[in-house]
Amino acid sequence: MNREQLFTIASDWFESQGWKPFPFQTQTWTAFLQGKNGLLNAPTGSGKTYALWLPIILNYIKENPNYKTKHNSGLKAIWITPLRSLSVEIKQAAERVLTDLDIPMTVGIRSGDTSASERAKQKGKMPDLLITTPESLQLLLASKGYAATFKNCSSIVIDEWHELLGTKRGVQVELALSRLKTIAKNIRIWGISATIGNLQQAQEVLLGVDSQAYHNSVLIKAVINKKIKVVSIIPEKMDAYPWRGHMGLHLIDEAAKIIKASKTTLIFTNVRSACEIWYQRLLEKYPEFAGEMAMHHGSIDRETRLWVENAIRNEELKVVVCTSSLDLGVDFAPVESIIQVGGPKGVARFMQRAGRSGHQPGKESVIYFLATHAIELIEASALKKAVENSVIEDRVPYLNSWDVLVQYLNTLAVSDGFYPNEIFKEIQGTFSYQTITAENWNWILNFITQGSQSLHAYDEFKKVEIDENGCYKINSRMIAMHHRMQIGTIVGDAVMNVKFMSGGYIGTIEEWFISKLKPGDTFIFAGKKLELFRIRNMQVLVKKASPKKESKIASWMGGRLALSSQMSELLRQELYRANTDNLSPELKALQPLFKRQRKESIVPSSDEFLIETFKTREGFHAIFYPFEGRFVHEALASLLAFRISLLQSITFSLAYNDYGFELLSDQEIDIEAVLDNNLFSTEYVHHDLQKSLNSTEMARRKFRDIAVISGLVFTGFPGKMVKTKHLQSGSQLLFEVFRDFEPDNLLLHQAYRETFEHQLEEGRLILALERIASQKIVWKQCLKPTPFSFPIITDRLREKLSSETLAERIQKMTASYMK
Amino acid sequence: MNIQLKNENFILHSTGAVFWEKQKTVIISDVHLGKVTHFRKHGIAIPQNAVSENFRKITAVLDHFLPEKIIFLGDLFHSTKNAEWNLFEEWLSNHKQETYLITGNHDIIDESHYKKIGVIVTEILEIDAFFFTHHPTEKEDLFNFSGHIHPGIVLRGLGLQTLKLRCFFCKPNQIILPAFGEFTGKYFLKPSSEDTVYAIAGNDVIQINKE
Repeated sequence: MNREQLFTIASDWFESQGWKPFPFQTQTWTAFLQGKNGLLNAPTGSGKTYALWLPIILNYIKENPNYKTKHNSGLKAIWITPLRSLSVEIKQAAERVLTDLDIPMTVGIRSGDTSASERAKQKGKMPDLLITTPESLQLLLASKGYAATFKNCSSIVIDEWHELLGTKRGVQVELALSRLKTIAKNIRIWGISATIGNLQQAQEVLLGVDSQAYHNSVLIKAVINKKIKVVSIIPEKMDAYPWRGHMGLHLIDEAAKIIKASKTTLIFTNVRSACEIWYQRLLEKYPEFAGEMAMHHGSIDRETRLWVENAIRNEELKVVVCTSSLDLGVDFAPVESIIQVGGPKGVARFMQRAGRSGHQPGKESVIYFLATHAIELIEASALKKAVENSVIEDRVPYLNSWDVLVQYLNTLAVSDGFYPNEIFKEIQGTFSYQTITAENWNWILNFITQGSQSLHAYDEFKKVEIDENGCYKINSRMIAMHHRMQIGTIVGDAVMNVKFMSGGYIGTIEEWFISKLKPGDTFIFAGKKLELFRIRNMQVLVKKASPKKESKIASWMGGRLALSSQMSELLRQELYRANTDNLSPELKALQPLFKRQRKESIVPSSDEFLIETFKTREGFHAIFYPFEGRFVHEALASLLAFRISLLQSITFSLAYNDYGFELLSDQEIDIEAVLDNNLFSTEYVHHDLQKSLNSTEMARRKFRDIAVISGLVFTGFPGKMVKTKHLQSGSQLLFEVFRDFEPDNLLLHQAYRETFEHQLEEGRLILALERIASQKIVWKQCLKPTPFSFPIITDRLREKLSSETLAERIQKMTASYMK
Repeated sequence: MNIQLKNENFILHSTGAVFWEKQKTVIISDVHLGKVTHFRKHGIAIPQNAVSENFRKITAVLDHFLPEKIIFLGDLFHSTKNAEWNLFEEWLSNHKQETYLITGNHDIIDESHYKKIGVIVTEILEIDAFFFTHHPTEKEDLFNFSGHIHPGIVLRGLGLQTLKLRCFFCKPNQIILPAFGEFTGKYFLKPSSEDTVYAIAGNDVIQINKE
């Protein structure tokens, strides 16, 4: 069949659905059938799924002209999705085409949710089209004879590539692709990405640096002009607006008004615990919503999530409280309004959420911004500007993630083993490892074969073994099993399953939260009041609690989001406007707060850098306001604290948010000395940061994930806690052992490097220091905390930095005694 | 740091060891030998050098106090016998002190192996007004030495400062020793008004102020 005939099949099918293909869809079909790779830039709900499913199917028809009568079995296409909750939706879309066109192809899902028997069945006979996650793809590479499985696979699609790009799961995908390119000679690689700042780079990361695949590729952009309207929820009276972040519950009545006025509303919260609280409070205050209201977040049982998604589609729900778990995929036509609770911290995320509503063509997307504390309203005003000017952030890919490489090599060693020369070449072609040296590579090989040591007589290290042909293999069944268990844990908090005593799975919860509870305590999880009965074999057994009992609300760690550099720039511009007459509605609403702020201090203008000092019961506070976003403040705080600690023997506790940072001490901080000694200098920044890092704990925290991914921290088998107890240890302890006994360990170095590149963002820091150098420093000695300072000084998540000796410090401290 | 227990002199050492002057005895708890090797045997690449650190530390303590007797308060070995046993055997052959092991929950290596190299294994040991166990135990007239829980203490000060340190935890009738071993964690205790806490701060042992 020629291309024209194939196209007719596709267009006819579109017509039968009452649709007309968009130009980006036909462009993608053409490029795909020409054998090209590519990146498709299209938003959720635009029909991107059919842009790629159709040519995959057309290609099968082309290669199998008698497709209607003879089925050629074996894996033909893989569809990777970052969230397993999306796979059902994707499967339905694919099956719809197959049924309508009467093509006997099979579609299967393989993810953490797939049952063992189903997986075994797939192993015997792969579906034609496989929908899976990055982790499950790795697991396939960890099974014997994997090369035969993939041999005739002609295409792989990475959906929501922008979500994976700036993460280590993205690196996992890069590595898997590097292998697939070798074993599946004719594979086409396609990515689908929402709009991000660095689309071109996204394409290069997907296909490999200067690779054949990259040279034979296209970037297709869907041009869809969608109107987004941003509305801030501003109460009539601002007096009651809290100065620091809560949950935004003071605006619950305003939110209810919006819910009542629209068909379906999605309320996005930034964290799962906020999601639980909002759900609970809405239900308490508006019992009439019961039955038409649901909750959706990543820790809730999959069945429940699917039910919620379907119910949205069927217009059965009035309101759903959710987290980023509903950011992606799944098209919900009936959604009319979106409420964003708290700053979304990034423009891309905000626009994506806004796009969840108003899916009917030509309809405007409306998103309501609900600021949880007063200053966040400035963020709302800045977001509006960002949406107007389509300012979108980059997603920065990870480079040289040794932990992921170690995991990948172990994966290959678990299956059929690997030959280093072959794999090294493949890895050099990836974006992440393009600069890997032979020395790095040998270190990694030595790490997995000898535990990074030279041979010792009494060493019993055993993991990857080298056979007589030079093939690297894991032979121990137990080690192989440990490794397979660990692959899924690329983000590693120990989670436990929550189940009713009578049976019935509710979801997963982090171990640290449960460990704070005693049997008989009640907690709220998945919208239910539960009483802890006991914990056994990694399972939390619960029963329904009496509704009257006091209860804690389940919470999850999760990283705090920080303002992107684009957002902080907009935020500053917005704030500087506060001293002018050109006020947005948000700034107008903030007038009472600005008045309070000006009483003791100032609202800085663009040429001013504000420092406030005051004393409270907690000690001496110094607050600095660069308005550069949390990450830059974290770096600036530790830099400045370190430099001050060279001038005087002192101990600091550091806190920061997106607006500024605080140095808190038990002694007065000499601000004169800070200014006289030019401590905001850009000279020796790298050196000083490195020094200060030894005392702060950032690298140690980064090491936590690295240790889990590279298999240094064994998280144990579900249900087999006891037997593996002798193999458990904390990553903190490991960090210290490495630092003291193996300072040249690459994984340890990686922890520091990630701290600098992804956490401290040294580049942004230097720009910030240069900006501060051009500003006039305004130092206000205040009698009490100002409105600007309030959210910072009440933050309890703190870092420490000290130049005093331990003995000096202990003399001034006490242990809290039991009373 | 010198302290008095039942009118006898004891020295608390910054490694976590205790020296009993009258009996010329060194008391050490929770060394967890073999832990690193156990991990490595299971494919977890903990630096090998951490192994010799334990032996270096014990030797340093013995060279400092020159004792006649050593009492290990349990959890001497982390798991089953592995290559570190040979190192221990070799190390022991160079030290002539009378050596006791009070068995702990991790001590699953058979007694007979210890007997062969001259270690006296027992669950409980009584000397004068003192008795030695792995788990903290209370008895009316005798003063208890124990380990097991790896005590640590959280200190707080002005300016939201906190410090977490290993410590010797002293109750009216017992003392709990910190874990001696490298690569072991801590369990944080909250003292009551009658307890005394001696924290390990680098090379010093410091008595903690009460609130």
